[in-house]
Amino acid sequence: MRGSLLSLISVLATLFIFYPMEASARIFIDINSPFSRKFAVAIPEFRNTSPQGSSQDLGEKLSRVISNDLDLSGYFSLMDKGAFLEGNREGEALNFKNWSVIGAELLIKASYSSVGQSLEVDLKLYDVYWGRQILGKRVLGETHRHRELMHRLSNDIIRLLTGYDGITMTRLAFVGDATGNKEIYLSDYDGHNAAQLTSDKSIVLSPRWSPDGKRIIYNSYRDNKGPKLYMRDLSTGAVRTVSGRSGLNIGATWSPDGTRVALTLSEKGDSDIFLIDLNGNIVQKLTDHWAIDVSPSFSPDGSRMAFVSNRAGGTPQIYVMNISDGAVERITFESKYCTSPSWSSRNRIAFAAVSQGLLDIYTIAPDGSRMRRVTSGTGNNEDPCWSPDGRYIVFSSNRNGRYHLYLTNEGGDHQRLLTNLPGNQTAPSWAP
Amino acid sequence: MSKRFSSLCVMFAFLGLFLFLGASCAKKQVQVTEPPKAAPEVKPEQAPAPKAEGEDAAAKEARLRAEKEQQLEKQRKAFESENIYFDFDKYEIKPEAKTVLQKKAEWLLANTRYSVRIEGHCDERGTNEYNLALGERRANAAKEFLTALGVPGARISIISYGEERPAVQGANEEAWAKNRRDEFKLIY
Repeated sequence: MRGSLLSLISVLATLFIFYPMEASARIFIDINSPFSRKFAVAIPEFRNTSPQGSSQDLGEKLSRVISNDLDLSGYFSLMDKGAFLEGNREGEALNFKNWSVIGAELLIKASYSSVGQSLEVDLKLYDVYWGRQILGKRVLGETHRHRELMHRLSNDIIRLLTGYDGITMTRLAFVGDATGNKEIYLSDYDGHNAAQLTSDKSIVLSPRWSPDGKRIIYNSYRDNKGPKLYMRDLSTGAVRTVSGRSGLNIGATWSPDGTRVALTLSEKGDSDIFLIDLNGNIVQKLTDHWAIDVSPSFSPDGSRMAFVSNRAGGTPQIYVMNISDGAVERITFESKYCTSPSWSSRNRIAFAAVSQGLLDIYTIAPDGSRMRRVTSGTGNNEDPCWSPDGRYIVFSSNRNGRYHLYLTNEGGDHQRLLTNLPGNQTAPSWAP
Repeated sequence: MSKRFSSLCVMFAFLGLFLFLGASCAKKQVQVTEPPKAAPEVKPEQAPAPKAEGEDAAAKEARLRAEKEQQLEKQRKAFESENIYFDFDKYEIKPEAKTVLQKKAEWLLANTRYSVRIEGHCDERGTNEYNLALGERRANAAKEFLTALGVPGARISIISYGEERPAVQGANEEAWAKNRRDEFKLIY
């Protein structure tokens, strides 16, 4: 009650202060250009305006969230605080020369005040070259939810500079084995605030958020009779069986409208991909082949589906099927082992393929053209999943020993560790 | 078929031997325990004699059962501990696996109250979903082989664990080879 009231207040209290300016006059990041460069951003220490100077250590936390957000976006390079000529103390005048001379293009000055559980943050973004403020925002929220508050500010900055929402407000589901059993965990997009969702004490696999973000389907061996498909309502915590047929009920993916699920069933002995409704009734048999057919992923309009099959020569490859007429086309030929297709909202397909004995992430157009390598030379890189905006890929990698989740842009030149949690983290699914 | 028959003969021969050994042991024991009991004046046709004989038979039976159970336990352990192995990304039954499966089929045909659960496994390479399907194929391949040898399909269930239950840890060919396997669990 109190939380929702505060959230409401914080939304209402959000003050937008956009300054009118000509497009040519401000920094604009063209994120659709393959040749975008990174902008140097300086973030001096947040000024603490809390009564009696309390919550002194909070400023560092707040600034770390926003710095990490801007870094993860791939559009900015964060400047070393040691190079700053000017701070952010009370009464300290802002001299743009002090920032332009060290190479800063953007400057973020922020102050905060924390009283009890209430937190107020005031943030100003400056274009150093033009010497003017381009964003001013004051937000109010709860201290223990400060990360969320900062993610919102980061998103405002990214939206102002790129014209698009960023990924800072999104969430992830993934499989973690810290308890000794594989269970599903949820976290913020940056890997923080991770919390265990399932407690099946069995094997839980392949979480997938529903298109409305309210439910998650996943596989579990909880009844000890093989992988069944379950659905969990995230608001009530209610779990029900969606498909509990004998054999496999695996690798489920939502249709874009959220009314159907495609998955691999093997009740009749052969593993084929079926379309079922949310009560588990078969709507359509999508593949009909003696080979292994798994891991469906729909195109954004739902008219096509990428999947994995070993129908040619017995090695797994990526295929694309036209749902209406069942026409199937193989799109990968470069590797003897291609799996885990993920179809982005911008119509690129990410997948994992073996080269020189290790799995790496690639992307490809749905017609099999313009293949691009995303990772290389760093252990196994698997389970790619696109961000809802189709600009980032989250994947799991054992490049540092155990499997953790990493974030990358499609070019692969900006890879960052997200989860540094105990055990292994795999099979990420990005919330809408 | 002839193999099956000969294995049945062997089983019966063993059974006969156990019966014989069991009987001779029981007699010895009777000789030791009888005299003190026989002393009191009781009519010969009455209770004690049948009782003694009843104890005799029960003890014999218990011993036989225990021995048979011991023997069976050994056989079950042997049955469950012997896996069959596969090549990478393959589910064809290899020649050495066929020998193992023939033995398993014979045992299952001789011990009809047992069912078997075949668990298909993969090595850690590749992705879970594909490996789950591959593991199922490996389990199915063994099931088909056993049914071809006459084991009723109703006594065989399968489950795939994909790469989720490795037999040994390790990221090398030695470990991977041990993990690409079918395990056989008896259900009774």
